[in-house]
Amino acid sequence: MNRPIIKEIIESPKEVFRSVIVELGKKNKNVIFVSCDTSLGTGADEFKKTYPDRHIEFGIQEQNAITASAGLALSGKIPYIGAHVPFIICRCVEQIRNDLCVTKANVNIIGRDFGLQFSALGPTHMITEDIGILRTLPNITIIAPADGPEYRAAILTACEIDGPVYIRLSRQPTKRVNNGNYEFKVGKGNILRNGKDITLIATSSMVSRSVEAANLLQHEGISVEVINMHTLKPLDKEIILESSTKTGKVVTVEEHSVINGLGSAVADVLIQDNPIKMKMIGIEDCFVIVGQSYEELLDYYGLTGPKIAQSIKSFLDQFRV
Amino acid sequence: MDNLTKSDLKLLINKAYNGRVKMLKMMRNGSIHLGGAFSSIDIITVMFNKVLIHDPTNPSWDRRDRFILSAGHKGIALYVTLQDQGYFDENILWTYYRLKSKVPEHPDEKSLPGIEFPTGSLGHGLSAGSGMALAAKLDKKEYRVFVLLGDGECSEGTIWEAAMASAHYKLDNLIAILDRNGLQVNGRTEDIMNTSVLENKFREFGWTTCAINGHDYNEIWSRLNNVPIEVGKPSCIIADTIKSKGITFAENDFQTHHCHWDEKKINKAISSVIENQVMELKKIE
Repeated sequence: MNRPIIKEIIESPKEVFRSVIVELGKKNKNVIFVSCDTSLGTGADEFKKTYPDRHIEFGIQEQNAITASAGLALSGKIPYIGAHVPFIICRCVEQIRNDLCVTKANVNIIGRDFGLQFSALGPTHMITEDIGILRTLPNITIIAPADGPEYRAAILTACEIDGPVYIRLSRQPTKRVNNGNYEFKVGKGNILRNGKDITLIATSSMVSRSVEAANLLQHEGISVEVINMHTLKPLDKEIILESSTKTGKVVTVEEHSVINGLGSAVADVLIQDNPIKMKMIGIEDCFVIVGQSYEELLDYYGLTGPKIAQSIKSFLDQFRV
Repeated sequence: MDNLTKSDLKLLINKAYNGRVKMLKMMRNGSIHLGGAFSSIDIITVMFNKVLIHDPTNPSWDRRDRFILSAGHKGIALYVTLQDQGYFDENILWTYYRLKSKVPEHPDEKSLPGIEFPTGSLGHGLSAGSGMALAAKLDKKEYRVFVLLGDGECSEGTIWEAAMASAHYKLDNLIAILDRNGLQVNGRTEDIMNTSVLENKFREFGWTTCAINGHDYNEIWSRLNNVPIEVGKPSCIIADTIKSKGITFAENDFQTHHCHWDEKKINKAISSVIENQVMELKKIE
């Protein structure tokens, strides 16, 4: 059964964050927002206006912000830190490891602007390694939502998760992929459409594009099962094994390096429990080029719906006798 | 300036020097960060006995003062003090360097009660302490946060991020005690990376500072019991100390930063500690 594709709804994850953080602040007085001169860009301006005492500004000191947030969390607060991925993740790996993961502090990092999204800012700002860096750390939860409702659910749920949570916040608008009845569960992937020829596992920005690719391939008689893997850690092994056993072939798609991202995580599972052929679509081991637009870069790196469809077809060609 | 009573002084001397002997006995199992543990044990002893509001039977008591050993390599000095205070049994000390020991060289807050934060990588403790102090301010709670830093550690940039933010938030419930022994792994701090003049640096960052002798119990006690030095500002108490204080032949030797001695040398060191203990006790008579 293929679920009906919902009428196209485009949402801004930042706008979702803007309303959800205020809602959370109202529900729980321990929720605070930690800014690294980033509240405006993350969408915490409304929260700052509503709860000025609970908006903590650290200025341009990401490392201090992470460790101070650990201190705040161990004293009963629930910090949401909104900041740019390059600085709040890459710069702060040790702070995240020692001060958040070792202590299991309930600190939620809202990482803005991953992958190709800063289309022209260059290698210091265009990070394709964040999941790879964080995935090896014990006690962290990594969520890369695909659309508005998923962002909403992830931001709300992070509050309840024991230990640090990293949520990848897209600066680019997202296309709705989940239907109204969808229930978000951390660590549980969800099947967006059923198929029998190949399993396509995608995360965050690549989910809607993978659905598009699946639609294109359907016209050519290829039946693609699309899985939205919004939680990278803990990973839903069952859904990978179940679907891959059915289809016998797996493709992963991510706006991330092919090293230690979704593809590697899926490969970790398959190589041990269902060693079948798979293909990883993502960004090869490089510092990305810049361009005029995000879409232009996605196309360059083969991450649009049509390009994903093309890669899948080439992959399937290998199986033709 | 207030003075401790003679019996208080006697108690503190005995605790700090007995703690030194315990640390040397633990060295039988493996290396210890001797130099810094011995330069800071007098401060830590005074703090847990005469300064901190805490309850070893209720380590997660909400109103307790927090103590963070930012220079985590001095963990062994914290262990012997916490054990003496009754946070855990002495047997745990003798598991040092044993499989699944709860006393790693650098403290882990999950392994034992009384440890507020995992430290060992330098430059984290002041940030963590500032977060705890900020939480106290937000919740209008009275507890104070004490962070013990090293002078070599002040080369780390995050110390200064935390210093700046703590002054910005007027965290007068945050007190840094700086164990200034002047030495680090490879030699003199002023030769390796000159962190001087620390008083001026902290003052410029918006703190109030004062210097004390980190082996004078009266000075430690009276200063730490009169904090904040100035309302509305975090306090930095700079304690001048001697690396490996209490072992005469090892004092001020940077090579005692991290060491593992043979039984003969350990016994010689224990004798030296006991001689110094007797001398300190005589001074107060």
